[in-house]
Amino acid sequence: MLNLTIDGKKVEAQPGWTLLDTARQYGIEIPTLCFHEAVEPFGACRMCVVELKQGDRSRLVASCVYPAEEGLEVYTSSEKVNNVRRWILEMLLSECPASKEIQALAAEYGVTSTRFAVHNPDEQCILCGLCSRVCAQVVKASAISTVGRGVHKQVGAPYLTPTDACVACGCCVTVCPTGAMRSRFDAVRGLPKVVLAHGAR
Amino acid sequence: MDNGNGCKIGVFLCECGRRIAPLVDLKGLQAKLAADPEVAYAAIEPFTCLTPGLATLRQAVSDNGLTRVVVAGCEARILLKKLENELVPAGLEEGQVDMVNLRDHVAQVSDLSPEEKAAKGFKLIKSAVSGLQALTPTVHEKVEFKGPVMVLGGGIATYSAAQELSRRGIDSVLAVSTDEWEDEIRMLHEHYPGERHYYGRLQEIMKEVDASPHIRRITVGELTSLTGRTGNYQVTFSDPLGGPPRMYEASAAIACLDGQMLNQGSNFGHDGRNVICHTEAEEMMWTLGVPEGKVLFWINDYEAGHPEYAYLSSRAAWSMARYMRSRSPLTQVTILYNHQMSIPLSTGERAASRQLGIAWVPYDGSLRPTVQTGYVTYCDPVSHVESEMPWDKLILSPRRSVGHEALKVAAVLGLEHVEGHFLEQHKQRVRPEMVGRAETILAGSARYPCDLHEALRQGRRAAAGVAEMAAKAARGELYAPRMICVVDASKCIGCGLCKEICDCGGIEPVEGPGGNIPRHVDPMVCTGGGTCAAACPYHALTQLNNTTAQREARVAALAKELAADEVLAFGCAWGGLAAADNAGVKGLKYDPRLYMLRVSCIGQLDPSVMARAFLEGANGLLLIGCPPEDCHHSYGLDHTWSRVNLLKKLLALCGFDRRRIALAHADLNEPEEYIRTVEAFVSQVAELGPIERSQENLEKLRGLYSTVNNARVRWVLGASLRRPWEDVYPGNQRNALIFDRDFMGVLSEEFIRARVANLLSSEHRPFQLSELAAALKEDEAPVMESLREMVGEGIIGRMHKDGVAHYVLRS
Repeated sequence: MLNLTIDGKKVEAQPGWTLLDTARQYGIEIPTLCFHEAVEPFGACRMCVVELKQGDRSRLVASCVYPAEEGLEVYTSSEKVNNVRRWILEMLLSECPASKEIQALAAEYGVTSTRFAVHNPDEQCILCGLCSRVCAQVVKASAISTVGRGVHKQVGAPYLTPTDACVACGCCVTVCPTGAMRSRFDAVRGLPKVVLAHGAR
Repeated sequence: MDNGNGCKIGVFLCECGRRIAPLVDLKGLQAKLAADPEVAYAAIEPFTCLTPGLATLRQAVSDNGLTRVVVAGCEARILLKKLENELVPAGLEEGQVDMVNLRDHVAQVSDLSPEEKAAKGFKLIKSAVSGLQALTPTVHEKVEFKGPVMVLGGGIATYSAAQELSRRGIDSVLAVSTDEWEDEIRMLHEHYPGERHYYGRLQEIMKEVDASPHIRRITVGELTSLTGRTGNYQVTFSDPLGGPPRMYEASAAIACLDGQMLNQGSNFGHDGRNVICHTEAEEMMWTLGVPEGKVLFWINDYEAGHPEYAYLSSRAAWSMARYMRSRSPLTQVTILYNHQMSIPLSTGERAASRQLGIAWVPYDGSLRPTVQTGYVTYCDPVSHVESEMPWDKLILSPRRSVGHEALKVAAVLGLEHVEGHFLEQHKQRVRPEMVGRAETILAGSARYPCDLHEALRQGRRAAAGVAEMAAKAARGELYAPRMICVVDASKCIGCGLCKEICDCGGIEPVEGPGGNIPRHVDPMVCTGGGTCAAACPYHALTQLNNTTAQREARVAALAKELAADEVLAFGCAWGGLAAADNAGVKGLKYDPRLYMLRVSCIGQLDPSVMARAFLEGANGLLLIGCPPEDCHHSYGLDHTWSRVNLLKKLLALCGFDRRRIALAHADLNEPEEYIRTVEAFVSQVAELGPIERSQENLEKLRGLYSTVNNARVRWVLGASLRRPWEDVYPGNQRNALIFDRDFMGVLSEEFIRARVANLLSSEHRPFQLSELAAALKEDEAPVMESLREMVGEGIIGRMHKDGVAHYVLRS
């Protein structure tokens, strides 16, 4: 049994729980994007950052991967945490300005515009990789992954062509936190066959 | 509390942060569930799926001795597997855990009050509870491997497959027609022309196979039968010398089949002497040596109607051209290719081609080149000028086909072959865990046209797949998937309907081909689509852990609870259900009167499940599958279409509106379209109003339920289902109207018979004809007709009282 406080509330956790697990168990909300219960946490999006205070020192950690420890003092919506989240959201708004989900989350934190350059106004993907983790860990098909590196990184099947490994279960579409997978899905599964006439495939 | 069925069911409600708890009255729902006699335990958890929630879940299961669990939270498609895995240590197996999507089917998609949403959730949870109660858990079937792996068919991939097996330390038997591998190489060009550069490597493989202690080589005649299932096959061959047939035991069989090369027809000027095909050119080089003069390869696959083979043909042509030029400097070699294709050479090969002086000449494919004596006329794609290319030998691409030998073997193996196609099996698009034997056991160019390298690679891959299974089996870890079909041998009459409509090839006769032989299912091949089980006229096929009885229990529990304007729906996990999940995730709002149940394929729905829904109180039934021609189990949607038509006819016979049942399809990526589908149907059912539950109507509905379970009706329906070899729904049927008239005739006869039998069995007293007809509100003539038949069949007895015939059901 580990005793810690989250937002001043005394909570108990078991070894093996993460800070996010503990907070959610006690009904304390932490926003997440790249986290999904069906797969291993990844810590990509950093939306779930929380502040750990030790005396007058404090640091920020990703709660989805940080294990609960005895005596931790955790703050999930302190000024510092909210500042970081606002920065992240502003950056996400420039990266994927077309995502309604990201816009809504940003608006909750009072972020409505971005000071960063928008390169593609139609982009929705935040490259969190949740789709590919679900495909590998839940479906076990490993049909999609992130392709390319750096600014050229994107989500798709190998060579960005439809793949036989995809079973078109749509789990990636369902878990996608930004709605970006919807437009990419056809490029992975291939379009459904349409029969035009007898014998014409 | 025990519900008398030996199982204790626990229900866990998820709060899911903001996504369920504030929108649904979970406390009220929990209280209602706790008061229900079928539910042994009900609890609310913040997040059942996270580490703390899972610990509580396991604790509650072991503390309360729960044997079934329903988690009402989110998508079963994504989280069910995790919950099942987490509950295995608590003693629950796959199938004993079910999920209700409270979040995306109830909480997020309507503006109902929390109490109304709780009521909706309650009905769905009750349905899941009833389904679990009807579950009979089965033992997880272990698959054992007995005997060596049989590599048969005689294709060249035999050697790479055997090499791979031997390297992995697995014993194999090679069934070949000749002992001398030099012979095989000598004749190989008939199947793989222009591969001479590869023969050295092939010989190495053959030498390794020859020396391997794991490999036994047998010389046999034709394959005559293959029976058994994965892990335990009996393979029979004819004796090459005319002796008695030879039988071998094998744990697995890999079929290596080479396709056949045919010559082009005379429309390309083929004469077998100067205008020849690749195989003939190769044969000529073996016997007469390299020809001198001008040799012209024309890659004419575009003109022959198969542009997809142009790559293979041009590679073969390049290989032969290289051989010719390096052996005979006096030979001039030109390769004429369609400008739509690119030259299939690597940079190094291009350099070699230039060095050898091989000319690659493109032509404009929109004008068909003409063969003349000594010249081929073609259009230059750059200058558009007509040009002529002189030749002494014109070498054409071959025509590729499966070949008679391969087809014979394929027929024995039960592999489907469609005219004009290769043997590549239709691959169901299902999750890897749903297929026990992921790798197809077929290798070689009869599977699909390929070169020698690819054929050998296929052999290695098939062998690797088999070897992995064998290694697992040796460790005792090879299990069949849990949700597969099994045949009840006592009910099976061996009609073979299931085998005909099965798309995964898992259903096999117990012994030998033909005749009324009971079938069995290869558990490692079955993908659990279940349309075979829904089609069986005698209910001899069942899907383990996912039975028709369970689905009937689910619809019965839900239909009883539904209000007059509410609609019961089934959504397949790949189409309708996934679209509903996505609509919820996106927070789209739609008509809350839809109650959706989950099936893994819409084709699993036996007509008796549909009939049961109406019998128990549903006024509308909507079935939502995958998009047409995109069914993940191949023909589930088409088969359901036929079944829905059956129900429509029967509803009309009962005097109800045919529109109360409908089949729809949804693309999971188009939740808006799914919503249009739902709203159209729900408003239609609301317009129709409820079915009046009068005695008369209930009697008719009971008759309807009995009729869909009637073997004769199911037989006629089964005959109309689309077969895997049929290109489009509804397949190559007889005259559609004649079939429909016959079907209608059978239905109206059996409907009356069923109602007569139901009436007689419920009243336990003799009836007169006039009484029966009056009770059923039918004319006397059809009732008399069925009575006469049923007396003839000995189902009911006839006695005379006061000179009037009375009828009574024989027990």
